[in-house]
This record gives sequence, C-alpha cells and structure tokens, in this order.
Amino acid sequence: MITGDSRKKVIPPTRSHVKAGFVVYSPDSGKRNIIILDEGELAAIDRSNGLKSTVFKMHPGDLIGVAALLEHEAFRYPIEATSDSTITVVTEECMESELKTLPLWMLAVIKSLSSKTRKLKEALHKTRCENTLKSLAEFCSHLEAKKDYAIKDLAREFQWMTKIPKPTIQEEFKALARRKFLILDNNGEETSVRIANPLLLQIFVDYLNATEKGGNWEPFSLDLNQKRLLVKLSAVDQSQEMDAPAWIAFFTAQGLKLDVAGWIRVQQFGWFKPSGDNAFAPNTDKIKYYLAALRYETNIRGVL
Amino acid sequence: MRFSAGEYVCLEGDKANTLYIVKSGMLVGSSKVNEDAPLQNFGPGSIIGEFSLLESEPRELTLRAAEETEIQVIDQDMLQSALEQHPGWFKSILTFLAARNRIAQKNKQKNDLIQALPSLLYIFSAHLQETGADSIPLALLHKKILALNNTPADETDHLLASLESLGLLKTVGKHDSEKQVKVESLQIIPLLYETLRYRALNQKVSPNILSMTEQMVLTTFVKIARENNVPLQNGLCTITTDQLKAEAKRSMHGLTLTSRTIAPLIDKGLLKPSTSFDIHAPLESVSFFFADFEKILDLLELNRIFPLLDKNLV
Repeated sequence: MITGDSRKKVIPPTRSHVKAGFVVYSPDSGKRNIIILDEGELAAIDRSNGLKSTVFKMHPGDLIGVAALLEHEAFRYPIEATSDSTITVVTEECMESELKTLPLWMLAVIKSLSSKTRKLKEALHKTRCENTLKSLAEFCSHLEAKKDYAIKDLAREFQWMTKIPKPTIQEEFKALARRKFLILDNNGEETSVRIANPLLLQIFVDYLNATEKGGNWEPFSLDLNQKRLLVKLSAVDQSQEMDAPAWIAFFTAQGLKLDVAGWIRVQQFGWFKPSGDNAFAPNTDKIKYYLAALRYETNIRGVL
Repeated sequence: MRFSAGEYVCLEGDKANTLYIVKSGMLVGSSKVNEDAPLQNFGPGSIIGEFSLLESEPRELTLRAAEETEIQVIDQDMLQSALEQHPGWFKSILTFLAARNRIAQKNKQKNDLIQALPSLLYIFSAHLQETGADSIPLALLHKKILALNNTPADETDHLLASLESLGLLKTVGKHDSEKQVKVESLQIIPLLYETLRYRALNQKVSPNILSMTEQMVLTTFVKIARENNVPLQNGLCTITTDQLKAEAKRSMHGLTLTSRTIAPLIDKGLLKPSTSFDIHAPLESVSFFFADFEKILDLLELNRIFPLLDKNLV
C-alpha cells in the first residue's frame, strides 16, 4: 500500500461560522468547492421563475459540491444559510493536496466511481444500437411494400425510437438503397423511400445477426445438392403431403440425392412442416425465404 | 493472489466485501443476468468491485482468468485504516460518490425501459398487422427488439410484465420456446404506439387522449349499448338521443348533455349524428348517434391505461 508521507503538504479545509441569510455558494462565482455543513441548516434556493423557493435543505453532516469539484459539473443552485451555521469549505487546492496522500487504490476507486457515473449520464443521450444498419433494416422490414414514405418522417420516427443521430440514419438509408433493399426517390422537394420487398430486409437482419455471432448462415452454407433439392421443392405442389420415406423416394426418383441424414438436415432447415399422421408438407414461407436469400446473395453480402 | 488461465476468481452473486485490482494478466467478466451483453475484459490497472468494498454488494460478474493473472485484494479493514488517516469528511465524499453512481444507474435503467417501449410496441403492432394473429412468439419478440434497439430480453420481459399488469396482454405457455405474448384487443397495441408516436413527434397530446367529459359521454354510450343489447351493424352501434340524455342524467354525475358536450366527439369522428350537426341547435335536433363500437372500446381502454403507463413502467 502506497500512502506516502506528505501530511505536512496537506492544505487544511477552512471552517467558518455564517449568519442566517449568508450565501455560502453561488453558481456564478465559478468556484469549485465542497461545502460540508457542521452545524445549523443550509438550503438550496431556486429563483429561476422570479419567486424564491427551497429546492432542498441540508442538515449537519450533509455536503454539496463533490461533482463540481471532481467532475467539473457545476452545482446549479445558490446555497444559503437558513440559520446561523458552521461550515467546512474544501477548496480545489485542499482536495488536490488530500488526494495526493491517498493510497493509489483509493484514488482509483474515486476515479472509477466518478467515471462510471459520467458514462452513465452520457449514455442517457446516446443510442444503445451497436449496429445501426441492422437496426434500420429491422425498422424498414415492417413498412408496407411499394408505398412511398417521406424519408424525413421515417427518420424522425426511427430516431425517436432508437436515438440514432440523424446523419447516421441518412447514411444507413443510403447503405440500404445501395443494396437495392429500398429505393430513394428525390422529386426535387423531398426524398421518399419505397421498400422493394420487406422479406429481403428481414433476411438481411438475420444474415447480420448470424455474421455478428461469427457462425455460418444456413442459406449461404447449402451445398449444390441441397440447392437443387430446394429448387425442386419450390416447383412441387405446395399442398402435397407425404411421409418421410415417400419424400425421399420422390426426390430420388427425380435424380436427386437424399438419404436419411439428408432428410434430417432438410428438416432442420424447416423446408417441411408436419401435417399429421407422420406426413409432411412443403413449408412455403421457409422455401421462399431460402430462395430469396440465394437469389439476392450479392445484395445481402453487400458485394454489388 | 495468482490465478491460472481458466481459473475462476469469483461467481456472479457471491457475497463479497473486497475490491480486486488486476496487477498483471487478464480477467474476463460475464453475467447470466445479462447474457446478451458482450464479455468484459479487465487488464492490468483495472479495478473491480467498488460496491463490494464500500457497501458489501454481491459480485456483479463472474470473473475468470483468461491467462496467468495476479490480482491485489483490498478488504474493508484496509479501507477503514486508510480512512482513519484522513479527515472525517473524506468518508462522506466516498459515500456521496457511491450514492450518486447508484442514482445514475437507476436513472439509466428507467431511461432504457422508457426508450425500449416504443420499439416493443412497434414490433408487436407490425406483427399483429402483418400476420392477423392475436399473439407473437416471445422468442421472436426478443429477437426483433434486440435487432431494432439492442434491448436485452430481461428488459423486454420487464416491459411485458408492466403491460400485463395493465391488462393489455398476457404471456402464455410454460417453456421459453413455446411462450406467446397474446393481446386482449388487436387494436390497443397499435393505438398505444400511435399515441406515443404522435406525442413525441408533434410535442402535443394525441387526439386519441380524451378529456374527462368525452370519456364520460363515450362510457355512457357503451353502457346503454351493453345494457340494451343493441345490435351491431357492420360494427356500428346506434343509440337514440333520448336514451343518451336519460342515461347521462343518471351516470354523468350532474353533467348535462348538450350539443356543446357532444361536439368534440363529433369533430374527432368518434360519434356520428343522424343528421347534420349544429353546435348551437338543441341536442334533440339529432334523433340518434352511431359509432364504431370496437373503436370506442379501444379508445376508452387506451385512456384508462395511458395515465398509468409511466408509473407502471418504472
């Protein structure tokens, strides 16, 4: 433990007695002191609306000005003595000299608490979104297809929801437009947004989720045989129901390779849905999803 | 203290009253409470557990050594002896800083919840409208809100519990994978989203928020319809002016129903008069009023829950 031996260098705080009505701190003074009330009573006064009102009262042992001194965050109200009081004033120089005598770990604790509080306060005004492109894609995926929306209205709504700054939102709209997920149209007065196909935006969000986790995304991991099965499946009657051996036989008869392991894999993709009595029917939504992902792979990957 | 790579230093929730300072190596912190949060790395110079030292708070993270790591442990006796060498006010400063941090944490939590509500309502509304269903799988809701606003699942669950306590929805199903969030009315969630959106973007109260008088008139309208089993035609319910006046006399606490009382509801399109409406003419000049019954029920429900929303959320 490092404590040093610098007690002699410590500048002591000043203790003073003040009469009722005395202003012990004024925000205009620019001073950054800690005021500790030893005896009596102090009050924070608000005169902003022309009337004098008490914001809070301080009792012996209470103190103010810590944030002002340690974090340069000025206390906004004047402090007055409401009765004859005794106060201790810790000036910036006094605090500095005291901090120098602290063990390093305690100094680190003070700094850490201060810094964590400051970060929490700053975070109140910041977005929580780490991937702003994904966030906007999710938002746009719930808009109606082929309908014109004013970009400024969408941006305001999206900003209210996410706190993402406007310039970032504008950039992300352009990024989605570059991938052809939406169309930006400027008629000279205002820019409108039209969603080409909301499903593509949903697929894009899923793709980003998978890549963020570092794993392979299933639609882009299909082998050639699986892709052939998918294309064949998209062409069969979607109301057709058969059990697993019948489906395997069906694909085999079409010259496609599908064994039991392959069938299980296809089941994991969700291309079939159970339809009772051990029968399965093609899952149209999933098939469309996989086909769209493969067809627009370059748009999704952003390698246009 | 020295820890080998992979060795656990402490577990989340452990009772604790010490501070750790990483002298060399690297600790990795994880939390089960917030599983979606990324792992935190603590290299040389990092300090962990200020609140365990100052207020004996349990460990917030599970800490594991990522490599050969040396940490210094500061306990409360060391804190006490250090404080004894300094003036009494110094302890007050530490207490103040800790309390201030706690307040900032609570404010952040409240702010996050308030911030997450529109995202939840937006996703939920969109799903109801896109699918025509009256529910959404909880796992899907978690996933989409995380994508939209980076809201973790526990915060979404907290919001859902608040909305459930207001009677707007219900989470059904035993296992997490089977859980569905079901709405009581298909329109109330979109209506609530639209009301919040209008307030935020226009900086004024949404027309969906009714005055007390408007609510009383509509409540009277609904009461007559229910008590008399008034049939609906294409969702529209018709009540005669005489019925409305008679019931209003009984249930509107002395308020006299006049054309002026009814006028704001007609302006908002909630009540429709049988003939052209003149605010200066006696109410009896209109023989009956009709309205979209479901819409009125949803609006009254919205007005019931809206004032309770902020209080229930945080």
